[in-house]
Amino acid sequence: MSLGFGNRQRELGWRDKLAAINWGLVTLLTVIAAIGCSVLYSAANGHGDPWANASMVRFGVGLVLMFAVALVDLRVWYRLAYPIYGVGLVLLFLVDLRGVRGLGAQRWLELGPVSLQPSELMKIGLVIVLAHYFHGRTLEQAGKPLHLIVPTLLVLVPAALVLKQPDLGTAMMLGLGAISLFFLAGVRLWMFALGGLGMAAMVPIAWRFLRPYQKNRLLTFLNPENDNLGAGYHIMQSEIALGSGGMWGKGFLQGTQSHLDFLPEKQTDFIFTMFAEEFGMAGGLMLLALYAMVLAYGFAIALRCRNQFGRLLGLGVVCNFFFYVFINIAMVMGLLPVVGVPLPLISYGGTAMLTLMFGFGLLLSVSIHRDTIIGHRGALEP
Amino acid sequence: MRSPVLRSEDNLRRAVHFRPSAEGPGDADHPLTRALEMSRIRLVKAGAMFVIAFLVISLRLIDVTVLETNDSHLNPLAVAKPLEYSRADIVDRNGKVLATTLRTQSLFADARVITDPQGTATALARILPDTNETELAARLKSGKGFIWLHRHLTPDVVDAVNELGIPGLDFQPEEQRVYPQGPLTAHVVGYSDLDNHGLAGIERAFDAGLAAHAEPLQLSVDVRLQAIVKEEVQKAIYDFSAIGGTGIIMNCHTGEILAMVSLPDFDPNDMSNIVPATIFNRSTLGVYEMGSVFKIFNTALALENKKATLDSFFDVVHPIHIGRFTIHDYEPQSHPITVAQIFMLSSNIGSAKMALESGGAAQEAFLGSLGLLRPAVIELPEVAAPHYPNPWHDISTMTVAFGHGISVSPLQTLIAANAIVNHGVMVPATLVKRADGYQPAGTRVISEETSFQLRRLLRLVVTDGTGKNADVPGYLVGGKTGTAEKVTGHGYAKKALLSSFIGVYPINNPEYITLVSVDEPHGTKKSYGFATAGWTAAPATQRIIARMAPLLDQMPITETADIHNAYTVDFPGKGKKIAAD
Repeated sequence: MSLGFGNRQRELGWRDKLAAINWGLVTLLTVIAAIGCSVLYSAANGHGDPWANASMVRFGVGLVLMFAVALVDLRVWYRLAYPIYGVGLVLLFLVDLRGVRGLGAQRWLELGPVSLQPSELMKIGLVIVLAHYFHGRTLEQAGKPLHLIVPTLLVLVPAALVLKQPDLGTAMMLGLGAISLFFLAGVRLWMFALGGLGMAAMVPIAWRFLRPYQKNRLLTFLNPENDNLGAGYHIMQSEIALGSGGMWGKGFLQGTQSHLDFLPEKQTDFIFTMFAEEFGMAGGLMLLALYAMVLAYGFAIALRCRNQFGRLLGLGVVCNFFFYVFINIAMVMGLLPVVGVPLPLISYGGTAMLTLMFGFGLLLSVSIHRDTIIGHRGALEP
Repeated sequence: MRSPVLRSEDNLRRAVHFRPSAEGPGDADHPLTRALEMSRIRLVKAGAMFVIAFLVISLRLIDVTVLETNDSHLNPLAVAKPLEYSRADIVDRNGKVLATTLRTQSLFADARVITDPQGTATALARILPDTNETELAARLKSGKGFIWLHRHLTPDVVDAVNELGIPGLDFQPEEQRVYPQGPLTAHVVGYSDLDNHGLAGIERAFDAGLAAHAEPLQLSVDVRLQAIVKEEVQKAIYDFSAIGGTGIIMNCHTGEILAMVSLPDFDPNDMSNIVPATIFNRSTLGVYEMGSVFKIFNTALALENKKATLDSFFDVVHPIHIGRFTIHDYEPQSHPITVAQIFMLSSNIGSAKMALESGGAAQEAFLGSLGLLRPAVIELPEVAAPHYPNPWHDISTMTVAFGHGISVSPLQTLIAANAIVNHGVMVPATLVKRADGYQPAGTRVISEETSFQLRRLLRLVVTDGTGKNADVPGYLVGGKTGTAEKVTGHGYAKKALLSSFIGVYPINNPEYITLVSVDEPHGTKKSYGFATAGWTAAPATQRIIARMAPLLDQMPITETADIHNAYTVDFPGKGKKIAAD
């Protein structure tokens, strides 16, 4: 029965799966991660410690995780959608109750020896659960407002919890990822207009709930020169460093602005500045091209997938990746306010790297299982 | 059981060109086809958005890396080109050089040519300042074609390197920014980096212009006055063991800043050994509660709104209790006093009651018109936004009346106070010299009459009030003291003060206005233990005016009976007005 459509629904062995892995994408990711490690090496003035070595190890672990996730049948992920989301939600609640405060925000959860950032797990959980939800809906249904109540709640509850931590950046990323999935799932445009109006109406109210530092960042974005020594300093120094990079850059390990510590957070959120100072416009454009290729691969994988779940899952991962890249780079060049969004595969940071690799694992799983048919209740159907 | 069409394809949105549907593409009215069409449009739109977003950041990247700078001398491949221009000098109002560019030699090596890296490193380490032999050797062994060894060498070091005669070492002529006045104008002029990009002050504000032009940029500051202000503020800091201070002189009519000092300061020629806190420009980037200096604005508001005259009485006998706050006076009075006395004795209770007469909205609007609720407008990038009450409650109205609960920069306080004394006309401040005889139009903020009354009060403070130590015979100084308790972690610190004095002279037709602030002064035996403005900032102002007036060829004014009578204020208990001479 499970092989009811025997002509296409052939069960894949792990050898077949390994062979079906999209090695082009894996290579691209490895190249970007290698660039990341060398930039971190430069950020530490030509030393592997404290960042480059650790980042290399993390990428290695991430690769293993990615392959493991990729080899798991897509139908398993389909069935695990709500459990994963549920666990993420429970952890978010736990963080609220007994999380560890770091840098003024309550984001980390200590589970024995492992410290965990549930908001990162939620990024995956939300994409899976929304893909699951819209898989079970026809386009007609997706267009109807009543069918949007559940997915809207699925987004708003974790977003509100993350916002409460407070972590404006991650909450925004969750929201943006969800909105793009809604869009791709075929939600009517007037619903977005309505949602947008609702959000606009919320702004004055939300403003009162923002922390002073968040208000400050937004005001500083509007006028960076107001606050040279505070939040505006980052952007000014970032633009100075980018400008000093010029066409071809100052050369590897030669970036004066970053090495002289004028540039803050050079190993995390502002790493693109450091890269562009040393490799100039040419290097920056090359890195952008690599990212664009990753996006193109992801897009193609999602398009070729035959089941709606896999396709939305793939697009969700791609959109998230896109928002990371775009928001980070736009931010360091002063096009967007400073929000804590890392540059994927390059910025130093463990949880973000693992989340990202998990996401790419899902994308690869979509690629491998593109011909799998998923019934509306999971693998047990048709 | 579902239809065969749906069974063979569970993905309704799958693009048709990947696998044509069973019906073929012609069936436009079929719901499935429409669904596919819509889904495809969505995908195309999303893809287009990705492309546009990447185009935007790519263009921005090109913009910030290449278009916004001229970087020919940054690129090692282009270093052989001789420099075509120098960064323009910055000079003071009399043409004295504040920043200039020197040609220097920078040493680089071609490691492919160097035969004995270890020996070269040993020899160079002996000659070049601040170098490490091991590190040099490692770099010379790298085999790279271009290695900077040392930037900006002095001629004797260049000679010594030439003496070595090692092939593979070469010099690149470069330019180095030099600040002949050292720390004196550091906060105004700012500084630039190794590659001559302005990073702070005028150097940053006019970066593009300085890089593009050859003729010097002439500032409004006068280094002689700058030196006087620095000496006198430094003396106040030293005498009263303070942690810092500010001094500014402005021309009342033109708005030109003649001196702007922030202490402690730094030497822009030696940016590698900088204490970061010294870079902070207290005059523009620091915001402080200025204390009773704000009574100038508070009194002007009450007089302008006709809520009071100099002779109106206010009851200041009892401290005001509001919520958990108490407003009290340093010199409690046993009877109601007039507006003139409130100003002269600097009564907080009286000022708070005066402010309530006009109301918070009028107060906020008035301070806004004086430019105290937005960042000061000046040609420096280092300008901070003020902090003020929001929402503006009655308690705020009362505290703002005597300069608490609102933090502004010293410069904007000076600009606002100038509007009050300059016949009620606010002129924009500038650090760039104005053409001779040019006076900016300005905007009227209060009437000529209110300005006159305020000048009388400012004179009264110096002749009979808290500012006696600021008087300079022959120059008719007026002024106002302000001693603010600094905010610490929790509430106000009784011992940590910011003592300020606004001085203006000659009071009958103001030419120059000054501001001196001393940060956390401590009382001395000579000041009878006082660290208030009257004992710290006022004497510093007196010394500054006494030294600057002769330098600017200002003759002492004879205080005629007319002037004396016009600028003398009577109040109960003072006795009869007595004419001079």
